[in-house]
Amino acid sequence: MTAAPRFDELIHPSTRLSIVALLASADWIDFAFVRDRLGLSDSALSKQFATLEGAGYLSIERPVEDRRRRVRVRLTPAGRTAFEGHVAALRAVIDVETP
Amino acid sequence: MDDISAEDARQALRAVDEERRHVIAEIDLPRWYWWGLAAAWVLLGMAADLGNVWLTSGSTLVFGAAHAAVAQHVFSGRHKSSRLSVRASVAGRHIPAILFGCLLLLTLATIAVGFAVDADGAEHASTIAAGFAATAILCGGPTLMAAIRRRVARNAA
Repeated sequence: MTAAPRFDELIHPSTRLSIVALLASADWIDFAFVRDRLGLSDSALSKQFATLEGAGYLSIERPVEDRRRRVRVRLTPAGRTAFEGHVAALRAVIDVETP
Repeated sequence: MDDISAEDARQALRAVDEERRHVIAEIDLPRWYWWGLAAAWVLLGMAADLGNVWLTSGSTLVFGAAHAAVAQHVFSGRHKSSRLSVRASVAGRHIPAILFGCLLLLTLATIAVGFAVDADGAEHASTIAAGFAATAILCGGPTLMAAIRRRVARNAA
């Protein structure tokens, strides 16, 4: 990651940071995978997704596979840039405090 | 940002790393691939033992074509299940080359074992050699992927 450090208040809360970190390592992730991984309820996770989607950080797709409707979530380029900037900012904090 | 301490930042980075590791843990091939490959290997061995050149050649061609079609989808190791697709930059580009290399070695090993068993005077040498290969596939395949995941995790750290 070579993004410019940019602390992101929207990403930093622990649940949203975990969600974005998961999505950053994947092309897309099924809603159920994120829910099971983070141990959140459907509604709690939907709220977090809505916040991140509202900021333009993620997109939600609803493909139909094997006659089942799935919900897939992926980071947008803006979300990926914000995440990489946030991680760079966190590293910068550590570098400053532990020279 | 000023109110973030180094400890808070470390904790956040640990959480990021943990989630990345969870995605890396999903790098794998579907289980059906290993079972299908092992079964096809044994069937090819049985076909070879029948001694019909056309049957052996035909089944080898069908196997090669079917495997090429399947490998295109699964050999990246990024689509173990329909729950997520691991990012290419996370999985790395070497997994297909490693898997093809191992398959090539296994093919050579099967031929060598087949000749050795045949020289020993055993009947159905090809089937016996393919049985060894099938066992190696079922035991070694998942072990190989676990080693690849460890390597990816090490590189990501």
